Amino acid sequence: MWLEAGNTVHYLGAALGAGLAVIGAGIGIGTLASSALQGIARQPSAAGDIRNNMILTAALVEGVALIAEVVAILIVFLK
Amino acid sequence: MKRLLVALLPVALLWARTESEEVPTSFILEHVKDSYDWHITDIPWGRNPDGSRHYIPIAIPLPRILYHPQRGLSVFFVHGHSEEEIKTELEKHGYTLGADGKIAAIDCQPTLDLSLTKTAFQLIIVGLLLLWIGRSAAIAYQKSQNGLPTGIGRLLEPVVLFIRDEVAVPNLHHHANRFMPLLLTVFFFIWLSNLFGLTPLNSNIMGNITLTFFLALVAFIIIHINASKSYWAHIFWYPGVPVWLKLFMMPIELVGMLSKPFALMMRLFANILAGHLMMLSIVGLIFILAAVLKSTAAGLGISIFSVLLGLFVMALETLVAALQAYIFTMLSAVFLGMALEESH
Repeated sequence: MWLEAGNTVHYLGAALGAGLAVIGAGIGIGTLASSALQGIARQPSAAGDIRNNMILTAALVEGVALIAEVVAILIVFLK
Repeated sequence: MKRLLVALLPVALLWARTESEEVPTSFILEHVKDSYDWHITDIPWGRNPDGSRHYIPIAIPLPRILYHPQRGLSVFFVHGHSEEEIKTELEKHGYTLGADGKIAAIDCQPTLDLSLTKTAFQLIIVGLLLLWIGRSAAIAYQKSQNGLPTGIGRLLEPVVLFIRDEVAVPNLHHHANRFMPLLLTVFFFIWLSNLFGLTPLNSNIMGNITLTFFLALVAFIIIHINASKSYWAHIFWYPGVPVWLKLFMMPIELVGMLSKPFALMMRLFANILAGHLMMLSIVGLIFILAAVLKSTAAGLGISIFSVLLGLFVMALETLVAALQAYIFTMLSAVFLGMALEESH
């Protein structure tokens, strides 16, 4: 079955890759947001600093996930 | 009601284009890729002699600018859409399409393709727009009697102050004023380009990796021109650790130095590309489903869902447009601040 589907199997790879990357980024950003919100709840006066750092770190986490998504897109487009 | 009609307009425009049998996915790629003409949409107008629909393209032709080592620079327009038509037009000027789809000279000399493409043209438009906004804000400040801004200056002041107080000063400290022009240019340029990409003008400026590569390259060069001695020392000869660890740290620090601008490039490119692809896929779902199931009812049914989700994604993209500009500026300022820091 896999050999017959040889022409389309790269779609499966791309879809799985995209999905797995989203799981990683979801866990990362979820943990980050929960810690940041806890920090803000304990120290409301530091909300501004915490928010800035949260956005920055979220961008870093997201950046890695987006690199994986670009690889998945490239698999589909460049095949 | 008016808003609903505006939301339905892109759907109607796409509807007009997809009467053919094939599953319409080519328009997604057409939007994402760079091209030699700025094709906005097609309007159905009457019928061809064989009964099929006739379309009038709404497009702006852009010039081909080619440099040949012997014949010099040649500028001309190419009409026609199919590969054959383009090839015959190019051959009139002594060029042809190579096997890889790129323009090559007939006599096999290396040529330089400086053509004004869709993205480059839109880039110039955004640049001019930015110049006009910046100049009118500056003039508004010069003219005001009491130092209070008027007109467009009033619109820009909170944003400029935000960049200065939240981005530049916390990261760059006393160097902040030196780098404000850079940070503001980067921020407004990315923001405006992203907003331009949200208009139905078939624009995908920051979703072009070449462009984000050069933005990241500018950041990279500025960071490393201004880097302090201690920054270079931390890369090549890490202070305060044994020699074997210094040698071990050097390649790691070098990778870190290059990966920062690489991440800047990828993040902006992927975010904007993903937004555009998501929008096109959601709207395209209507036509793909209608074509696959061969029923208009299926398309109509899914269109309710698609338009609502599309509106939501559009709202999200408006946020992302500003957020990505902010993140690019913020990270540039953070990396710059790290490089400027003297040893302590």
